[in-house]
Amino acid sequence: MAKYPTEPLKLWNKAKEIRETFYRNYAEAHDKGGIRWAGGAWTFDAVPAGLGEDVYSLTSEPYGASLAFNRKLSLECLEATENAGWSRDLCSYMRNYWGSIIINKYAFGGPFPKPDFIWQDHICCSHAKWYQVVSELEGGIPMWCVDVAAGGCEPFMGLSPARIDYVAGQLLDGIDWLEKTTSRRFNDELYIEACWNDFRSTHKWAEICLLNQAVPAPLDEKSMYSLYVLATLQKSWKVIADFYEELYKEVEDRVKRGIAAVGNEKYRVISDTQPPWGFLKVFRYLEKFGCVSIGSLYTFGLEGMWNYTEEGQMIPRAMPDHKPKDREEATRMLVDWHLHKPEYQHFYSPKFKSDFMTAIANDWKLDGIMLHYNRGCEGLSLGIAENRLALQKAGYPVMTFEGNMGDEREFDEARTMQRIDAFMETLGAEQLEE
Amino acid sequence: MIEMFQEWYENRHEYAREWKKKNPDGKVLGYFCTYVPEEILYGANVLPVRILGSHEPQNVTEPHIFGMFCPFCRDCLAQGLEGRYDYLDGIMIAQSCLHIRQAFTSWHLHIPVPFSYYLPMPHHVQSPRAYTFLTEELKVFKKAVEDWTGRRITDADLDRGIEIMNRSRRLMKQAFETRKADNPPMTGLEAMYMSVSNQWIDKEEHSNILEIVLEKDLPGRDVGKSDVPRLILLGSEDDDTAFVKMAEDCGSVFVIDDHCTGTRYFWNEVQPREDRLAAIAARYVDRPACPTKDWPRRSRLDHVLELAQDWNVAGAVVIQQKFCDPHELDIPPQRKNLGENDIPSLFLELDVTVPIGQFRIRVEAFLEMLSQEDLF
Amino acid sequence: MLTAGIDIGAKTIEIVILDDGKIAFQNLTVAGYDVRESLKKAWEDIEAQSGIKLDGIKKIVATGAGRKDTIYASDTITEVSAAAKGALALNRDIRTVVDVGAEEGRAIKVDSAGKVMDFAINEKCAAGAGAFTEAMARALEVPLEELGPLSLQSTQAVPMNAQCAVFAESELVTLVHNKTPKPDMARAIHDAIADRIVSMVRRVGLEEKVMLIGGVARNIGFVTSLKRDLETEVIVPEDCEYVGAYGAALAAAGK
Repeated sequence: MAKYPTEPLKLWNKAKEIRETFYRNYAEAHDKGGIRWAGGAWTFDAVPAGLGEDVYSLTSEPYGASLAFNRKLSLECLEATENAGWSRDLCSYMRNYWGSIIINKYAFGGPFPKPDFIWQDHICCSHAKWYQVVSELEGGIPMWCVDVAAGGCEPFMGLSPARIDYVAGQLLDGIDWLEKTTSRRFNDELYIEACWNDFRSTHKWAEICLLNQAVPAPLDEKSMYSLYVLATLQKSWKVIADFYEELYKEVEDRVKRGIAAVGNEKYRVISDTQPPWGFLKVFRYLEKFGCVSIGSLYTFGLEGMWNYTEEGQMIPRAMPDHKPKDREEATRMLVDWHLHKPEYQHFYSPKFKSDFMTAIANDWKLDGIMLHYNRGCEGLSLGIAENRLALQKAGYPVMTFEGNMGDEREFDEARTMQRIDAFMETLGAEQLEE
Repeated sequence: MIEMFQEWYENRHEYAREWKKKNPDGKVLGYFCTYVPEEILYGANVLPVRILGSHEPQNVTEPHIFGMFCPFCRDCLAQGLEGRYDYLDGIMIAQSCLHIRQAFTSWHLHIPVPFSYYLPMPHHVQSPRAYTFLTEELKVFKKAVEDWTGRRITDADLDRGIEIMNRSRRLMKQAFETRKADNPPMTGLEAMYMSVSNQWIDKEEHSNILEIVLEKDLPGRDVGKSDVPRLILLGSEDDDTAFVKMAEDCGSVFVIDDHCTGTRYFWNEVQPREDRLAAIAARYVDRPACPTKDWPRRSRLDHVLELAQDWNVAGAVVIQQKFCDPHELDIPPQRKNLGENDIPSLFLELDVTVPIGQFRIRVEAFLEMLSQEDLF
Repeated sequence: MLTAGIDIGAKTIEIVILDDGKIAFQNLTVAGYDVRESLKKAWEDIEAQSGIKLDGIKKIVATGAGRKDTIYASDTITEVSAAAKGALALNRDIRTVVDVGAEEGRAIKVDSAGKVMDFAINEKCAAGAGAFTEAMARALEVPLEELGPLSLQSTQAVPMNAQCAVFAESELVTLVHNKTPKPDMARAIHDAIADRIVSMVRRVGLEEKVMLIGGVARNIGFVTSLKRDLETEVIVPEDCEYVGAYGAALAAAGK
């Protein structure tokens, strides 16, 4: 008899449909007379939205994850990339993505749809270079990339006006470039709306994650992946901002009624960095111990917008108090908003991420943390060893396991399960009866 | 006098300690990346010393840096954890790759120093916005150095710092130009000692010796390398003197390079202008780029090819630190570009220690291949 | 009351039988391809040598990589808990347990109550324990059991890359071609493994006293390198391979 009542999410299918629509829209963009572009999950997708209502995109990292989830196709892609002379220890999303172009297979059926232009961000070593290679593979695609490595936010570092100017300046230059490249007039009204939806999506997602402080947690991390991904696809799309508002109401209702994601919840953990996408069964295995992963800084803070308070708490960042009135203001507000992203802060010191993670551990009532030493992503694995030390110092049991988010050859399932067994023992958890 | 560079290379810590004794009011700052604006540091009477590894196996960095990051960054951190740089008064990094960044951040967390600075050196150096941004950041950095050292850095100080750096760059370039000769007056190993020691010796002292070497040692010097394949050394950070010596002993000579303990460090000068910080910023934005900053256009392709052609090389040895993502992203196009311009390349993956025997076989085979070009 | 612990490792299976908590018998068998067959034979050997019958044992707990493959045990615990239990039962002052077997090395931090505080297991880079030594012994054409004593005759330390086992093997080939004396190469091999194990110990943090267990603890060359690297005394129990099985047997006895 489960400890808590459970219910499937009512909005589950809608989330799936939105995602499928997104990928279909990109593939069929030209058929509808529209245009399409490709760029990263952290790119400022609100900006190309100013080019019209028939502008569709492909987001690199979730596309890479979709490939990785399909292990057979992923292996084809990875091998194609290696045969083309690229090193095996490069970002595994990127290798999957390049492979998809090389073998000309779109993860959702048909040939790989070539983007009309590239609109990218650069934070880790690979981001801009990823699309440099994409452009070369496709015989040349116009590319604009915005450097967002302008320093961290308060209370960790000061976001000076000069830092905001630098990123905003690149975006404004980028708008001129977009007009020239697409021969379309930029529509500031559409742009402002898109910025506002960006704020709405990311603010609301953080509020949804906050609800997971409840015991039992209404959502488990494995399910959350399918929900947070919408913001990585296109946070400036009204459909997604609206969806998160609906989702918030449903999750809030679950909390009121004590509905659990995992009926036998006894131990709460978070994971971190991306999971090994081909082996999400790891989360189901945890449930055998009554253990549920209720999120991670990755699920909360990759797209969710938060503040870290002086008192050491992680709270959703408040919506701006007014809509921007013109292009310049929209751009500065967008940059200021994005540079406060929790997942940017550890690029400046692992301590900033440790602070966020400790805040989660405290306020989301964790029993332990599982760190995925992810060989597939140097950006999110940056400083992970120091995170481990800091979390242990804060008094939390931490387990680590090596793997790769997008290359199944680097994930040892049996060994990882053994580590989980040992970690559960240290928490005092036993495998529950089936 | 050319042996001085080797002596300095082999005794970096002794040199720095001596410098501190001779300059009791001076400070020594360890830095992790060649984008650090040393002009400002020299203007403040700070001795900047590049932190490099020691090419020895170590077991102290495992708790701090995940093993999938390059061996070089772990080797650098190990030096700090083992106490070899205990004379440092400060550390700093200018933002470039993620790997070396961890050596800095872990050092900052675990090895106390009075001054520690993270300079957000922009990556989008192909955008005009980078000039303004870096100039503003240098203003903040200059203030931080003034607070640390307790004295103002005037325009005259900056001019002095700029001239110290520019003079060193001019002389280094002059020295490297001599290697264009059919009979280069120094080996690649000697050039490596010269350029690496430049990164941790007081520049004025280094330049003074270099001037003498240029004037007295190099003219007419014969190191017996007139009739061997001429090579360019490309890649990540490299100060693997054992490797370079072995490769040259096999019957070759490195005449030029593009890596960050080599020409990427000193290639271009500060162009003077009224706003000194803007002038310094422009120098760093315009310098030969680290791969992390070489986008959207691949400027490195033309630059490396030009070096290879101007120095008339027969082949390229591409050395990449194991796991170095930035170079892994550049090396295939680099090799393709060189190959299309009749410059074959040998690719080798380095760790902090290298299997010299295995590498010797590869180098010998490569040199044989290059020599065949002459036969047929 | 008889209880037992079975440790099913990559290369060997150890069984420890306790009578009211005291060690009554120990058995070590080579783990063949068919673990069931190997275990069946082990029980037959135990009965023949000690008279103890399998059905006379009240409770059996299994540990080791193959712990879920046996029908004999009613319960399992991981090698981490088993090693911690066994080590602490042998010496209550142990705070760091280093367990080095054929394919894995583990570092385990325990508190005075025997609770596992933290553990580290060697990963892809810097993986390799006993199996690596065997491969190196073959490369040097030295019987495995002689490799350790040979290393003690070394007169100089020759650095070998401690990060990657594949790179290390490459370096050994170079040393052979350079006619490096065999004792020095033997020492280099042990220093390299010890270095990797010490890296892992540093992840959990070194706290005395330190106990070394597992089959590789019989290698005097490795033990010497480890002590030198850790700069601390390392306790090696007499029956170092049995400590995991002993811990499992204690778990079966409810201790």
